[in-house]
Amino acid sequence: MDILVFATVVLPFLAAIALLLLRDKGSRGLIVVGTAVVLAAASLALVGQGAFEYAPKSILGISLDGLITLLDFALLFVILVIAMTKLKNPLVAALTAIQIVGLIYLEFFMMDHGAAKAAPAMFADSLSMIMVLVISIVGSLICVYALGYMPAHEDHLHLARTKQPRFFFYLVAFLGAMNGLVLANSLMWLYFFWEVTTFCSFMLISHDGDETSVKNATRALWMNMTGGVAFVFALIFLQKTGTGLYLSELLKPGFSAAGAAALIPLFMLCYAGITKSAQVPFQSWLTGAMVAPTPVSALLHSSTMVKAGVYLVLRLAPAYSGTMLSGTLAMFGAFTFLTTSALAVGQSNAKKVLAYSTIANLGLIIACAGINTPAAITAAIVIIIFHAVSKALMFLCVGTIEQKIHSRDLENMRGLYMIMPKTTIVALIGVVTMLLPPFGVLMGKWMAIESAAAMKYMPVTVMLALGSGLTVMFWARWAGILLSTPYPKGIPAEPQPGTVRGPLVLLAAGAVLLSLFVPFLYGGLIEPAVRSSHKAAGFVLDAFNFVNQQGVFYIYPLFLVLGVGFYFAWKQARKVEAADCVGPYLCGAQSTGDDKAFVSTAGANVGYQASNFYLTWLFGEERLTGPINMVSGVLLAVMLGLLLGGVI
Amino acid sequence: MGKLLLATLAVFLAPIVGGLIAGIDRKITARLQSRFGPPILQPFYDVFKLLGKAPMMMNPWQILTVWVYLLSSMLTVFLFFMGSDLLLIFFVMTIGAVFFVMGALSTQSPYAQVGAQRELITMLTYEPLIILVFVSIAMVTGSFKVSEVFAYGKPLLYQLPLMFIVLGYALTIKLRKSPFDISACHHAHQELVRGVLTEYSGPQLAIIEIAHWYDVVFILGLVGLFWATSAPGMIILLVVTYFAELVIDNVTARMTWKWMLQSVWCWGLALSVLNLLWLYAG
Repeated sequence: MDILVFATVVLPFLAAIALLLLRDKGSRGLIVVGTAVVLAAASLALVGQGAFEYAPKSILGISLDGLITLLDFALLFVILVIAMTKLKNPLVAALTAIQIVGLIYLEFFMMDHGAAKAAPAMFADSLSMIMVLVISIVGSLICVYALGYMPAHEDHLHLARTKQPRFFFYLVAFLGAMNGLVLANSLMWLYFFWEVTTFCSFMLISHDGDETSVKNATRALWMNMTGGVAFVFALIFLQKTGTGLYLSELLKPGFSAAGAAALIPLFMLCYAGITKSAQVPFQSWLTGAMVAPTPVSALLHSSTMVKAGVYLVLRLAPAYSGTMLSGTLAMFGAFTFLTTSALAVGQSNAKKVLAYSTIANLGLIIACAGINTPAAITAAIVIIIFHAVSKALMFLCVGTIEQKIHSRDLENMRGLYMIMPKTTIVALIGVVTMLLPPFGVLMGKWMAIESAAAMKYMPVTVMLALGSGLTVMFWARWAGILLSTPYPKGIPAEPQPGTVRGPLVLLAAGAVLLSLFVPFLYGGLIEPAVRSSHKAAGFVLDAFNFVNQQGVFYIYPLFLVLGVGFYFAWKQARKVEAADCVGPYLCGAQSTGDDKAFVSTAGANVGYQASNFYLTWLFGEERLTGPINMVSGVLLAVMLGLLLGGVI
Repeated sequence: MGKLLLATLAVFLAPIVGGLIAGIDRKITARLQSRFGPPILQPFYDVFKLLGKAPMMMNPWQILTVWVYLLSSMLTVFLFFMGSDLLLIFFVMTIGAVFFVMGALSTQSPYAQVGAQRELITMLTYEPLIILVFVSIAMVTGSFKVSEVFAYGKPLLYQLPLMFIVLGYALTIKLRKSPFDISACHHAHQELVRGVLTEYSGPQLAIIEIAHWYDVVFILGLVGLFWATSAPGMIILLVVTYFAELVIDNVTARMTWKWMLQSVWCWGLALSVLNLLWLYAG
């Protein structure tokens, strides 16, 4: 156990330090790939071991609790110094200072350090292990991809001296912090790793160092810092009420019976999760984070950072089950799902479409945690897993495409198949696995809608139905554009570094294969995770189909019919000859030689142009962001108000 | 086993029924417009003629997408007659709808592009409504399964009258009838030529037509669910509903997509919420 926890949590930090010190390209590649392999293997071995509790006492004679406290203060002071000197941002400084003061109060005036520990500092159940798998495998693939991506990125910036050692330091350390976060039982440890991810994301977003990236990184920092403040308050509150600062204490049955005394810290922790997951009204930090190099976006969006937020909300779901907090969280998540899906429709910037769709999916996960039935919790976990794989894939595809065509605008991806056929196909697989049955993300959506309907949760159901329609709109549009091409006469070869192609192909294969094996994944990990928090399972497997009172989702019949049908359709498409192909219909007067023009009455060739409907009059950021932020701010205030109302 | 047989039979019969409905539709529409109209079997003649034509297309993707569209429509009907999960069936139908749009978008043709965008808007309009119809059915019967509707024992129409109107909206849109025929009008005389269908010809167009017949059978199946207790009741409901669609088609003009999105969402949502509230209170 020591060795596996060491490999997943401590090793990435050591590798990160090595990456900082050994600055040459060769050893960087070796370390990153080596760490990736070890991490993936260790995460699988951890799953093989099964659930565990683990209480590491000391390292080299230093108490670990003390070490974590020390590092915590060190980290906060570093942030404080950065806020005051480099950023000159009083808000960040104040938020950091509040956390320092709060921690000092908690550590030195409230806690009895001599007392025996009530619970082990670390534990893992199926949910933690699923998270470790996602972080260690998807995250590692993204780090490997960065090896191929960053040299081209730096060429573009014309840097005198490479900043890659620093970049990879934070990238790899991020994975260790995330693993620590999901394995922590002690809330003090959880808080420490939580702040490490905030800091890493700040450093990674501001990596390029220009004005925009620093500005956006600062926004990410202060928004997440408000979550950090809430976290510290939750700790103080819990300590005050005499609850031990351990997740296992919060998850004990009957915890929420304490009423507001239990619900207020739970709300504070959920609020921290909401800021970290960039839910409305905090969505702007994640869309702003798009200025960072693509591997950062991919990492933040798929396997780290935002997933830490939904992990915490989901982890606490049993603690607030059946309370008003649960119901309002469902509303809040569904609202985020609907509104950010609408914002995604209004975007032609591919990265922004991905960003809003990430926030939407996170909203869906939070809605499921709020619905809080076994089926809904299953849906949340399914979406976490499949969204991580497909979204990582989509981000890496957009990064690759952008480096080739120098644009991330959807409109510029027309005819992409003629330039980069392999990446286009991989991106299409990404879109299809995000959108259509029988793939995992859609299955999660199906579970979510059916569980909302089962709860007769009308506002939530209506918002999920509307949001679902919006998601189809922006994904279908993108998929169509990726196909948009004249008859491909001689498709070019597409050279690509192995560190780029490898992760792309592996993630695409993963997205499809995981969906294919989802019944086994369910039996092995997801169902145990649901059962650890709820009495019953959400679904039973009947001939590998997901069945419950509400409905049934066929897996293998659909895969078989759709797979065979798709193969047949593909075969038919392959038979097409160049001779059968014509140019588009342009009302008669088509110019010869140029497919994209017609002949005018004056005999000149006149081009035409068609583009997507983005419906910005309805779904544009300018139109929607203000009202969305206002409504979501009110929702949060109402949540807090109702809880406080219980105290006074 | 019986279900499997019924579903297989339905997959074979659906295009015949769908084609006949299309023929009767054209005949009645002609009569409403004081024309004589084509023979009832005309849609079949059309499709067979199209199937015999030499294939012409802009790129191979179009072939791929039309076949996937047909496949998903067939699977939709199959699952429906298997008594399967309504929401799942709907998502399977979405595969076809998405691939159909992808095929049109793949062509780089201005008419098809605009048509595809409009088709996306129509999907955006009817998808939430159909999901809400399913949710309301699930609230009444306690399950999303079609088989449970048949086992329920009372016509759904009693409890879901407003949802039936909402489904009517979706039906009108899906049948591409006025005032919602914005993406591919039946009458190829508008500014869009035939919109999303512009770049499909010959066998591909025939396949799309057949897939559309499957869709019509599925949507009418949904209508039938509202009177699942007796066969005559179901047939009367279907005939009345379809005739109402024809009348609406003939007395309305095509409206803009903006109007469609706004009015259908507003009315559809208002009616759905009212009906759901009523169920919830009841």
